[in-house]
Amino acid sequence: MATEAEAAASVVGKSVMVVGIDDSEHSFYALQWTLLHFFSPAAGSSSPFKLVVVSAKPTPTSVIGLAGPGAADVLPFVESDLRKISLRVIEKAKEICTSHSVADVEFEVVEGDARNVLCEAVEKHHAEILVVGSHGYGAIKRTVLGSVSDYCAHHAHCTVMIVKKPKPKH
Amino acid sequence: MEETNEPVATEGREKMTVLVAVDESEGSLYALSWALDNLFAAAAVGGAPNKPQPLGRLVLVHAQQPLQQFIMHPIGPAVYATSSVIDSVKKAQEQNSRDVIERAKGICRRRLQVEAEAVVVIGDPKETICQAAEQMQTDLLVVGSRGLSKIRRAILGSVSDYCAHHANCPVLIVKPPKTSH
Repeated sequence: MATEAEAAASVVGKSVMVVGIDDSEHSFYALQWTLLHFFSPAAGSSSPFKLVVVSAKPTPTSVIGLAGPGAADVLPFVESDLRKISLRVIEKAKEICTSHSVADVEFEVVEGDARNVLCEAVEKHHAEILVVGSHGYGAIKRTVLGSVSDYCAHHAHCTVMIVKKPKPKH
Repeated sequence: MEETNEPVATEGREKMTVLVAVDESEGSLYALSWALDNLFAAAAVGGAPNKPQPLGRLVLVHAQQPLQQFIMHPIGPAVYATSSVIDSVKKAQEQNSRDVIERAKGICRRRLQVEAEAVVVIGDPKETICQAAEQMQTDLLVVGSRGLSKIRRAILGSVSDYCAHHANCPVLIVKPPKTSH
């Protein structure tokens, strides 16, 4: 049962680190940065963190928006497209982990809005820390598009680490 | 699209420069303890038993509010502080900063025998912390969070929010521990 797994994890003494990824370069950079700084290949498997990589798959209906005429026809295509994208995202994440010689990783794909998915994953795994990338949107874009990293920083119940790609100097 | 600096796996963990923002609040000291436990203890455990690998530099930064030369009331005469008042307030502020830094350093020493560097910056906390992070080329900025609600955050202002948006480096926001009901 889930509680046994948690008990086992706590016996080993590893805290859980959840990394949220999506189809963007920023989130893969965040994953790489995390692996580089927290999971040293030389130290073997003695990292204090257990890594859980979570990818949120948006529901097809949220992508299509208001149901208009013909939405029902488009639905299966959107659904398979989203599935392909999320599989590709997980494949790439797996590659990144193996290239950093990190083997003890769990991968999850959860359907739903990224914000809720990540916060729920934190609850489910009793994570110590949640890592997200950041698109680096300005204030206006952030209000209009919504920011997952913002939401998580305020609503997740654990420490949140926001990894940004370094801005190129002008 | 060009791949911007692919991180290369070097032997051993990359040395990190970690900047921790401290002030008088319990939240920031909790953030410091959290950072020490999770970031630096890692190195002590992971490395060979004889030679613990330091994870890198730990720098404590404390932002001191700039001294206002005079206090303007919206209605009424402006009150100008005399130089002696300014001096004593300045001294009090410096003493306060020193106490905060000492307390933070004490925590570092007790937890892990880590000698932390300390920097006191004068100015608006939000901007000066981000500037300090940039100047010192930090790899990770650690800030506490008061756990304010959205409206309060908008009115009171949130340093962690500002840092999360404006710092050039990764930001770690440590929340206060959930009080068990």
